[in-house]
Amino acid sequence: MTDYFEIHARDGAARLGELRLSESVRTPGLVDDVLSDAGSLWAAERELPKGDESALTVLPHRGFPGGTDEEVQQSFAVEYPDVEFPSAAVVSSESAEFHGIPEPDDPETGADAYIVSDARSAIGHGAALVEAVVSVREAIPADTALIFSGVATPRNVALLAYAGVDAFDASRAIIKGTQGKYLTSEAEYFLEDLEELPSPLSEETDPEAFDREDCVEHNVAALEAELSIVRQRVRDGRLRDYIEGQARHDQWLTAAMRELDDQWSYLEERTPILREADLDASTSDAIRRVEIQRFADRVTSRYRNRFKNPLVLTPCSAKKPYSESQSHGQFHDAIQWRAHQVSMTSPIGVVPQELETTYPAQHYDSVVTGRWSEDEKQFVATVLERYLERNQYPRIVAHVPDEGYRDIVERVEESLDLNVTYTVAKGAHPTDEESIAALSSELSGELKYSKREREHNTVRAIADYLLGDGAGDKLFTDIQTTSRYPKIQVRDSEETQLATMVRQYGTLSFTLEGAKQWVESDAPVKRVKIDNFVPHGSVLAPGIVDADENIRVGDEVIVEGPKAFGVGRAEMFGTEMVESTRGIGAEIRHVEER
Amino acid sequence: MSTPTPEVYEQGKGMDAHNQVMREIRSEKEASYDPHQPTRVWLDEDNTPDGVKESLTIILNTGGCRWARAGGCTMCGYVAESVDGGSVSHDALLDQIDVCLSHEAENADGPAPLIKIYTSGSFLDEREVGAETRRAIAETFGDRERIVLESLPDFVDREKLTDFTDEGLQADIAIGLETATDRVRHDCVNKYFDFADFEDACSTAAEVENAGIKAYLLMKPPFLSEPEAVEDMISSIERCADVSGCHTVSMNPCNVQRYTMVDELHFRDGYRPPWLWSVAHVLEETADVDSIVVSDPVGHGSDRGAHNCKECDDLVQKAIKDFDLRQDPSVFEQVSCECEATWDAVMDLERGYNQPLTR
Repeated sequence: MTDYFEIHARDGAARLGELRLSESVRTPGLVDDVLSDAGSLWAAERELPKGDESALTVLPHRGFPGGTDEEVQQSFAVEYPDVEFPSAAVVSSESAEFHGIPEPDDPETGADAYIVSDARSAIGHGAALVEAVVSVREAIPADTALIFSGVATPRNVALLAYAGVDAFDASRAIIKGTQGKYLTSEAEYFLEDLEELPSPLSEETDPEAFDREDCVEHNVAALEAELSIVRQRVRDGRLRDYIEGQARHDQWLTAAMRELDDQWSYLEERTPILREADLDASTSDAIRRVEIQRFADRVTSRYRNRFKNPLVLTPCSAKKPYSESQSHGQFHDAIQWRAHQVSMTSPIGVVPQELETTYPAQHYDSVVTGRWSEDEKQFVATVLERYLERNQYPRIVAHVPDEGYRDIVERVEESLDLNVTYTVAKGAHPTDEESIAALSSELSGELKYSKREREHNTVRAIADYLLGDGAGDKLFTDIQTTSRYPKIQVRDSEETQLATMVRQYGTLSFTLEGAKQWVESDAPVKRVKIDNFVPHGSVLAPGIVDADENIRVGDEVIVEGPKAFGVGRAEMFGTEMVESTRGIGAEIRHVEER
Repeated sequence: MSTPTPEVYEQGKGMDAHNQVMREIRSEKEASYDPHQPTRVWLDEDNTPDGVKESLTIILNTGGCRWARAGGCTMCGYVAESVDGGSVSHDALLDQIDVCLSHEAENADGPAPLIKIYTSGSFLDEREVGAETRRAIAETFGDRERIVLESLPDFVDREKLTDFTDEGLQADIAIGLETATDRVRHDCVNKYFDFADFEDACSTAAEVENAGIKAYLLMKPPFLSEPEAVEDMISSIERCADVSGCHTVSMNPCNVQRYTMVDELHFRDGYRPPWLWSVAHVLEETADVDSIVVSDPVGHGSDRGAHNCKECDDLVQKAIKDFDLRQDPSVFEQVSCECEATWDAVMDLERGYNQPLTR
């Protein structure tokens, strides 16, 4: 149980936390000054330390360095005592299970933090690092701090924090300084090779006068500075965007980022379903990030097209949502609600018109040059193919330019044996007068769908996307919609409001009545079970008895207990709610006593 | 809730684990050796209670260490250098001695006054070297001044010592104590006798005229950080020097031998041999004890042996060898290098949960 560590914000696996000692320490951050080592049991018997709230006491331990055989780890594993003061236990990436660490979902005992004794062996090896972080993270309660000692440098610390490590020390940066190695977030230089000092951290700019002691000081300051960038990025929800660029400065860091993308369940569980921040898709790795993959997955496995009209495939636009862009305004003038519009885009895949505001469709920004890489084409083609396998249309019109788009549609057309009509001539642009005219005439004779149908289909599509396949129809059986898109209000036949479309994220927020209908419907429910109290404002982790595993940060959740029924937004993922003893689990929007 | 005690040491369990792992590691070794050849032989000079002497060192192949066949010490690869089948006959052992004498005759100016015989086991264990062979070897070297014989403390008894002292030899038993700290010897080295057994052997030797004990210590067994290893050596040397009968302490940095647990750790960045600065520091700190203290860093300067930054390794090694002969700590004042700052930082920052901090 941790009384001394609290997580305030999350960005994927990275967390912004606080070690609540007599002087609190921000994480991701350095803990050199607050770690108090009670000593190794390899060297001597140790008294159980007294400990106090000014320090994080490392309990007497047997560290297993890299290469320690599992048999040896099992025999010598220390069972850590429960203590009343802030404490850290030492485990290895392989031994967490041997130390009698309480099951993560039984968080009443255990240390506040865990130090990984073989972290060094994972440095320089992407796959090994990811395996080490993921295995320890999954063995320890979600709300405890994970510490890597002796490994952090200004160059690797952002990736380590991104992977889920909360705290570090400056030992490696200090050691490197004593060796005359000048560390930056992009390299490690030999002091004697530098003609000028690249950092403004020191008043001294002449390398000749800059000695190894100065170098130690610089390295520690550079590490601190990098950590403050990391913390700011976590606050802003933009750490991944930073990592995609910064990790390029060392191959193994890029490898680690990619390996982590393959740890789908670890990363997906920790990735919010919405963010205020924009998402920069400027590298080829953006395609692999959870937000992108999850959107593609949900659009092709949860969403279903409800329109009977033909399909018009269009290119995306830089302006979001697409419908507010000039080009899409022109497409709309030609289509006139006579077709279902789906935009093709890299790196999102395909965006049906109902989901154009849904995170991250409205939030991403990519580099537009018209040059498509084979990876991008392959990705969009795969998504389009899966989309068209699931959704049948009477006719398919592709209103797309050459640059990549047409190539993709042709591949899918061939692969699925479809018959696609192209309304943009080779070399022409979709907004050319001829193209627009061709699109319009292609749809002549098609009937318009109504505003009512459009709005009903939109809120049902969002429900599919958020809750699961078929959820839109199960949840919203007999509804009417009011207010203007994109702030559609969903009401039942009695005019009682059930939900509102949130324009900022393209999600739904439920009223109490809507929440009740949700619980009664056959749509998958995301439920947080709480203790015997009526929550107002925030639901804190200790009050949570159980939570569905499929809950993600940002999800609408039912909050239910013997005394209360309510609805709100998840601030933790489901497993984290169950494992945590501190922090806000969910924010309540509506609640009633019962 | 678990009991709040840090005492979790379980001798049997840890020993079983170390042994099982070491057996598996050793089983990867496939070479076999000729029982008529010594494992190694070389000429050197050594500091003894009677001054610096020319020495002939013999690594006798006696079939190897029985403890190692059960698993054995975590850093020791010498078992791999023993013959198949496990025992070597009287005649074969004497053949090995002949090979060594020829080596000496070819390479030395004359017979070395000091003979040192190591066996990768216990010379005084009669299952390795029978009483007949032992006496024959005592007689062979009866014309020398001093003989050093490697043995576990259990096998040290009066009669075996007098086999040599009766020949007019000073007999020193070299005991691989490794450390005076029982806990470290058991858990890190996986060697199962106690400091009390060493004290008993010393008192046996003290009662035999012209017999003595030379303690061999191991600096930085696996699992200890650099500062822990240094502290362990300083206290071990002090404790050994206080035991009557123990006149010499040879404190040797652990090196990375093939087919050992240390090798597995080293391969995964989990072990770094000690710094030569650590060796020098321990020798300096213990210069005033009432014993000869020497050190012979094997493979110094290499990644697998004690080393500093590569630049200064030879210089510091030279100072250590110089100290061995003269026991004068001022030799270390004459060596310095920028990497001392790194060593200082390692001594300050290395812990059981982040070691090794450097390569």
